[in-house]
Amino acid sequence: MTKRTKVKDISQDPPEQLLHIAAQELMPLPCCQGELSIDPPIRPLTEEQKGRYECSFDGISAVRLTKPQSRQDEDKLVAGFLSGLKKLLSKEDNWTFLQPLTISLEYCAKCQICSEECPIYVASGRQEIYRPTYRAEVLRRIINRYLKRGGKALARFTGNDVELNWTTIARLAESAYRCTLCRRCTQACARGIDNGLISREIRKVFSQELGIVAPELHALGSVKQLEVGASTGISPQAFEGMVEFMEEEIEEKTGRKIKFPIDKRGADILLIHNSGEFMSWPENPEAFAIIFEAAGVNWTLSTELGGYEATNYGLWYDDVQFARIALRQAQVAKDLRVRKIVIGECGHAHKASIVTADRIFPPELNIPRESCLPVLEEIVLGGKLKLDPRRNNFPVTLHDPCNMVRSMGIVEPQRRIVRAICPQFREMEPHGVKNYCCGGGSGFAIMNSMNFPDWRSGISGRMKMKQIIDSFQDVLDPSIQKYVCAPCSNCKGQFRDMFIYYNIAEQYNIVYGGLVELIVNAMVDIPAGYLEVEEAPVVEEVPTTDREAVV
Amino acid sequence: MSWPYIVTYVSYIFVIAAYAFKVAKIAKMPLHVRWDLYPIPHEKGHQYGGSYLEESEWWTKPQERSALRSISYMLKRYFLLNGYFRRNKKYWMSLYPWHIGFYLIVFFHVLAFIGALTIVTTGGTIDAASTSGFGIGLYYLTLVVAVASFILGSLGSIGLLTERLVDKGLKDYASPTNYFNYIFFLIVFLSGLFSWALFDPTLSAYREFWKGLITFQYAAVEPATYTHIILFSLFLIYLPFTRSTHYITILFAFFGVLWGDKPNLRGGDMEGDIKELLEKPVSWSAPHIQSGKKWSDVATEGVEPE
Repeated sequence: MTKRTKVKDISQDPPEQLLHIAAQELMPLPCCQGELSIDPPIRPLTEEQKGRYECSFDGISAVRLTKPQSRQDEDKLVAGFLSGLKKLLSKEDNWTFLQPLTISLEYCAKCQICSEECPIYVASGRQEIYRPTYRAEVLRRIINRYLKRGGKALARFTGNDVELNWTTIARLAESAYRCTLCRRCTQACARGIDNGLISREIRKVFSQELGIVAPELHALGSVKQLEVGASTGISPQAFEGMVEFMEEEIEEKTGRKIKFPIDKRGADILLIHNSGEFMSWPENPEAFAIIFEAAGVNWTLSTELGGYEATNYGLWYDDVQFARIALRQAQVAKDLRVRKIVIGECGHAHKASIVTADRIFPPELNIPRESCLPVLEEIVLGGKLKLDPRRNNFPVTLHDPCNMVRSMGIVEPQRRIVRAICPQFREMEPHGVKNYCCGGGSGFAIMNSMNFPDWRSGISGRMKMKQIIDSFQDVLDPSIQKYVCAPCSNCKGQFRDMFIYYNIAEQYNIVYGGLVELIVNAMVDIPAGYLEVEEAPVVEEVPTTDREAVV
Repeated sequence: MSWPYIVTYVSYIFVIAAYAFKVAKIAKMPLHVRWDLYPIPHEKGHQYGGSYLEESEWWTKPQERSALRSISYMLKRYFLLNGYFRRNKKYWMSLYPWHIGFYLIVFFHVLAFIGALTIVTTGGTIDAASTSGFGIGLYYLTLVVAVASFILGSLGSIGLLTERLVDKGLKDYASPTNYFNYIFFLIVFLSGLFSWALFDPTLSAYREFWKGLITFQYAAVEPATYTHIILFSLFLIYLPFTRSTHYITILFAFFGVLWGDKPNLRGGDMEGDIKELLEKPVSWSAPHIQSGKKWSDVATEGVEPE
């Protein structure tokens, strides 16, 4: 057992690594049963990486913060951080989150009720530095000691014992990227304290004041999106090429000639996908096209800069980048004179566009926005498609993206669809608003710096991996293919990596995919096998009641 | 005027002013962006955590909201602390009596005031032999409330102090101030218990004291009662320096933030606030932000209208 880490240890200088992650301390997985050979270790950083990047928090580097070369470098970071903190607590500079943040900083009882709700804390074997209150308490003690009147003088009595130095700040930056912002901890809090928000606001100080941020989110993410058109680097011209490719692929797979409506003025719906779908899972936007065309929806895609990319990584770390992207998407919709924006299967884009950006839109850009899930529900349950649930006769479970359920309350539409078209549907436990994050939330799924992917599969995704295996306990036989329905691009990205990490596809024959693929797979006028999932042996007769009523 | 009276006047004025100041500070903060958290009790789909966003074209449909459900949910949080009960019964066993002790000790002083006011205005008595049912009822109610508060508050303080010292997860996050609070509050509760048990079993001294406060005719009371009254006054003065304002800020946290799902509809009352906020200057220093510009300019950079 490692030494118990205290809050003030974060400022220990010279730094020793606060946590050495030991495989035997992690929460056991049902698949592993003590055999760690199939529970891969988290690879340590190389000596060169250790020498170059700050990694004394837990031996992982997500932010790639380079070590200081001089005392001046250290002082500059400390001064910049304090300056950022002052802005974070000012109503001029942080009107967007000041009230929620202040309440969360000032009224936490430190009762630790939230700890057991955190999948990272529990899966890590309850390591202190991953406790949801840990980084919040570090921030609180810094603010109380360095920014409040008499803070230093009263520090001994008030317990504000965190020293501010380069190491403290660097570790705090890393620690903000050990929380997926899933906000399960907030659900548990009797006072409504939001440790997820505090993590997000720590990221914000680093980004907005110091320009320190995980590069995949900023330079390779939101900056690229604003400059090129998509965080994946797809330019408008490249996107047009991809549309052609998808049209051809639909024809190959289904024999249908579908022309994607592009930049169609006055359409009812501007559909915006996470551009990761075009790169990694084109079958998802293709399925949307097949469904919308079959249902007679008046829709369009946009080829305008920013109009074909739903992601908004600013949601996770930076208000300015967040607002820039949200406003650009709205501007595209306004120019196309569409009636509404519909967000495809991307959880954080749902929350960013539909909920969080809601109070930054001036009237002229306040275009109605909604989730694809109720739209799909209307199509599927409204009988607009001919569906045969028997085509989806294999075990299916549904993953709830945190942003859709916990942050938006969109819980049932996707379930009603899956219940209607998947005879072997089973829930994960817990599910709905009590779900566990996939482990790739808040940008983790796209963060691939050094050994961070090992950490996100090995720890932040561990609880979800357990849930998935548990939900298929009765059909683990690899001869039966199983499907995890994840209506979110980032969650799918996490599953892709995590399934490889744990060798799940090979061991248990579990695959993942979106929701619309299941719908198209059940469409009777599409050749069978849109989803390349083998049908499982029929467990029981397909009910002839509700499900056939849909057909 | 004897000094316990002065301390009492000051403490009541101070606690009201300090709470008002702290609450106003939170209330006056600008409109924040939405940061909902489900389940939200006022929503139609509250049982499973659903929201109006589950409906297609939600902005065209009336929203069914039940304020009553939210209030009822909040009352359970206040008076049952059911979240703690569900997740950590051991902690709840100390926390619950502690909180109830607080509610009741404040209620006891309110009842003592009502008793004194009744005596002053009607000339009646508040005791077991009172000629009015109200006098008898108030007498027993005051007695039960006071004794319950002293006992529950003391047990809760001892329990929480022990929990903080024994449970490593709690201890590491506790400050000397936390321990001071538990001990100080324990002394306040015990002083009341001591005064009642040994010197003032009918609690009439409190009504006498309150009579003095109301009529400005100051009567001397038992030193033990004085001690509790002064400690209670100091407790009131100290409260705003603790996290006790959470009794009120919890309303902002839940109704304003986590359950604050009111959409910004076109032509709605939020538009003015948003326009004003977008005029605020941005002074963050990172290279991708142009300090000195207005929010509306920084955020719309590159967003060119057609």
